[in-house]
Amino acid sequence: MAILSGIARYRVGLILGLTLLVASLWVPGFFGMTTLGLGLDRGASIGIIAIGLTVLLIAGQIDLSGGAVFALSGIVSIVLQPSLGIWPAAVVGVAAGAAAGVLNGILAVVFKVNSLVATLATMLIFRSIAHWVTASQPVAGIDIMFSLALAKVYFDVFTVRSALFLAAILLLHFWLTRTVPGRNLFAVGSNASAAEASGISTDRMMFLGFVFASTLAGVAGVLQSLATNTGSPVFGSELTVTVIAAVVVGGTRLEGGRGSALGTLGGVLTIAALTTAMEFQSVPAYVQQVVAGLILILLVVLDRTVRTGTRTHAAAVASA
Amino acid sequence: MTDIALTMRDDLGNPRFNRGNRLVGLLSRNGLLVAILAVLLYGSLASPVFFTTGNMVNVLTSMAIVGIVVVGMTFVLVVGGLADLSVPATIACGAILSLALQPMIGPVPAFILAIALAGACGLVNGLLVGYIGINPIIATLGVGTIVLGIVQAAVGGVIVYGTDPASAALVKSRVLGIPTIALIFLVIAIIGNFVLSRSFWGRWTTATGGNYNAAQASAVPVRAVKAGAFVITALCSGLSGALLGLTLQSARPLVGTGYEFSAITAVVVGGISIMGGFGSVPRAIAGLIFVQLLTNIMVLQGVRTPVQGFVLGLLIAGAVALDVALRKRGAV
Amino acid sequence: MTTRKSVLLAGAVALLASAGWAEAKTVCYVTAADSHAYATPANKALEARAKELGIDVLSLSQNFDVQTGTEQLKTCIARKADGIILWPLDPQAYIPGLAGAQAANIPAILINSPMSDQAKPFIKSFTGPDVYAEGKMAADSLNAALKGEGSVVIIAGQAGNGTTIGRVGGFVDHLKELGSKIEVLDTVNADFDQQKALVASRDLITRFGDKISGVYANDDTMARGFIDAWKEANPGKPTPPIVGINGQKDAFASIKSGEMYSTIVQSPDEDGKLAINTMAEILDGKEVKDRIPIPLTVVTKDNVDTTQPAF
Repeated sequence: MAILSGIARYRVGLILGLTLLVASLWVPGFFGMTTLGLGLDRGASIGIIAIGLTVLLIAGQIDLSGGAVFALSGIVSIVLQPSLGIWPAAVVGVAAGAAAGVLNGILAVVFKVNSLVATLATMLIFRSIAHWVTASQPVAGIDIMFSLALAKVYFDVFTVRSALFLAAILLLHFWLTRTVPGRNLFAVGSNASAAEASGISTDRMMFLGFVFASTLAGVAGVLQSLATNTGSPVFGSELTVTVIAAVVVGGTRLEGGRGSALGTLGGVLTIAALTTAMEFQSVPAYVQQVVAGLILILLVVLDRTVRTGTRTHAAAVASA
Repeated sequence: MTDIALTMRDDLGNPRFNRGNRLVGLLSRNGLLVAILAVLLYGSLASPVFFTTGNMVNVLTSMAIVGIVVVGMTFVLVVGGLADLSVPATIACGAILSLALQPMIGPVPAFILAIALAGACGLVNGLLVGYIGINPIIATLGVGTIVLGIVQAAVGGVIVYGTDPASAALVKSRVLGIPTIALIFLVIAIIGNFVLSRSFWGRWTTATGGNYNAAQASAVPVRAVKAGAFVITALCSGLSGALLGLTLQSARPLVGTGYEFSAITAVVVGGISIMGGFGSVPRAIAGLIFVQLLTNIMVLQGVRTPVQGFVLGLLIAGAVALDVALRKRGAV
Repeated sequence: MTTRKSVLLAGAVALLASAGWAEAKTVCYVTAADSHAYATPANKALEARAKELGIDVLSLSQNFDVQTGTEQLKTCIARKADGIILWPLDPQAYIPGLAGAQAANIPAILINSPMSDQAKPFIKSFTGPDVYAEGKMAADSLNAALKGEGSVVIIAGQAGNGTTIGRVGGFVDHLKELGSKIEVLDTVNADFDQQKALVASRDLITRFGDKISGVYANDDTMARGFIDAWKEANPGKPTPPIVGINGQKDAFASIKSGEMYSTIVQSPDEDGKLAINTMAEILDGKEVKDRIPIPLTVVTKDNVDTTQPAF
């Protein structure tokens, strides 16, 4: 039992280690700085959104609209380039993400619409706006050289995007573990009424959580659009599911009150390493899907059956 | 999610609130009826072809496939299972198998086996959610991904064509001017309504969704009931997929994309809370009718596809916000 | 002693392996999807031909997601592939990736779909059908069928998708160029999906009724959806001229029975083979043309018996 719970405790690290081990044995040329840099950059887009989602999930809420915000913010940052210039347009793009988060927050916190439904609705709305403003055509940016500069790899490992992601995850780790608001977040997520009773403004916290999540989805979208010099209404359509999977693989629970920044980092890296390794071997996408799905299910089952062995099942389900 | 879930449950446990709830329920159900009538009225005024038999039959036919899924999804929401996101996978399972197995075992066994296998996927969902206690979103997302992956690997990406025109003709036929497929939907809806509103299983479902611990204490087999909702949904999606395959006489792995959200939309617009504990099949279908009529009018008026999505999003948000507001007022 | 031997052996094996690795050229193939009616046969043809040519193919599937594709380009560069064949799903987004490939001295070509002119400096060639040209051919065909006048509906693929943009754009632009009096009643998106096309067509038929004198569907699957909707609404009445694209088997049957007017055959086998053949020439140091089309054939009742369906 002790071994099992140990496995359960460090399952993300274990799975990540296992993935890397298998990959290094199986895939020629997998280990190397280029692969590391590649995996990191690949994980960065997912990762930046995952950071926002981690916070939101810990608070007991969910956001399905991330992929749509990702597309919309990117489009805004590209469309405005000719009139504002690259940097101001990028800022407006991120602000558009934040505005989307305000709408999510209003629906979920002020109008008390369940966040799953609220963000399903806003997902449709944001995606529609993205199609609307672009007439469903991808939009090109003004300066391809800027994109090339952004894709530059520093010290053989980091791109701007991946460095940003790593910095953000460390900040999140610090915030969640060392600051009062960070710890309050867990209280809000595990028992909102108790948190409210102890003087935490749960509504405010959740509202800010939605804004934070969408803002980061906006940042990721703007970075993607700048890196590809393109804003497209179909960007990010597969993203939400991957991000949720990454965060959950990292041990954050959809029921709220549990999660960690380092876990999310582990989850993101696991998914990135897994994808990169399987692509190196030309594994068909549907096989990749099956593997990713199995790992996801395996990890949550492990989480449920081993760690909560002592907790009553009813309590776990009631909070679902 | 958690906080709203908890307060909701407390409220539902309170008999005084139950009375209020019923009143408000009546009110919001009538609200939906009024909305449907308004849409019908607007449609008839705005478009000369809207209120014709031909168009109404169209709406009915388009509704049938997603409608069967809606019946199942209602159980998932009522039992407090949030949502079943594996619907696209189980629809694909039904559509592809019902066609691919035809040459080997004949159309009827293929049809039945396809639905049964979809049901098996639902059983996996049910075990994960009901017995192991995994969050339904994650469980159904994971299982859906796996099943869809296997389905794609099995057919290797090609389109599967039907080989039995007789079964296609049967599905496309009409009885007294009503498409057979709509009649099948009607039968499923009636069975679903009976099970949910008139049978012990339905009482258990509502009780489990309303207050899990209380239901468990009063000897309701809560785990089985929760798992059952996912099996029911998978069977419905499997049937829906099989019918879809037979109508189109072709199927590909992504045939069910988007059906999960359409079904959730209908149920939620029908005023059924995602928190569980109450709701009925007719309400969900009323929601479906409203959404379908609205979409139909927008298409007839030539509203662009993106705008349609926009309106639908506003509708979901508005309907639920209104519902929450009404219920809160009813509680006071 | 034994340790020494095994070390030597391991060294020899490694040397052999690396030598073998260096000999066979590896081409990175970033395909649209690996589970798709058109893409799957194209992929298979490409891989089969590569085997004949002695080229290793590293096949990566974007699963129709542009972002995945842009990242896969980086994987190709990291793996130091000898060449890249890209199936673009967006006219712009891959340019930085292609520029990266060029910086790493990896030649790249496009298969199946074009990109914008800005991508030209970074690619050696573009092989495959021209979706824009297909739109134009469809316009010619429908214009001929309707003798230059009438009102048509367009059943388009996914909004924002490169193929949709090309096939609709080519059609609409060419009608103008022809000075045709054909009016487009409406364009609806049915996502290359038969069921969605069926539902959309029912609504179009209700809305426009007999005003619809012709139909242009972005692919044969969606044309099938319109035919089914028409048969439901008007049993026994002949369909208006319907033009599709792809040249699927069932479209051939529909042309024979008169339910469809024409389709455009675009063979996935040819598409796949042409790309790898072109890449093989580049790897041999030969110069290639920057645009190598695959033959597109308009199929009507006249030549339906003498043409092979695409898939």
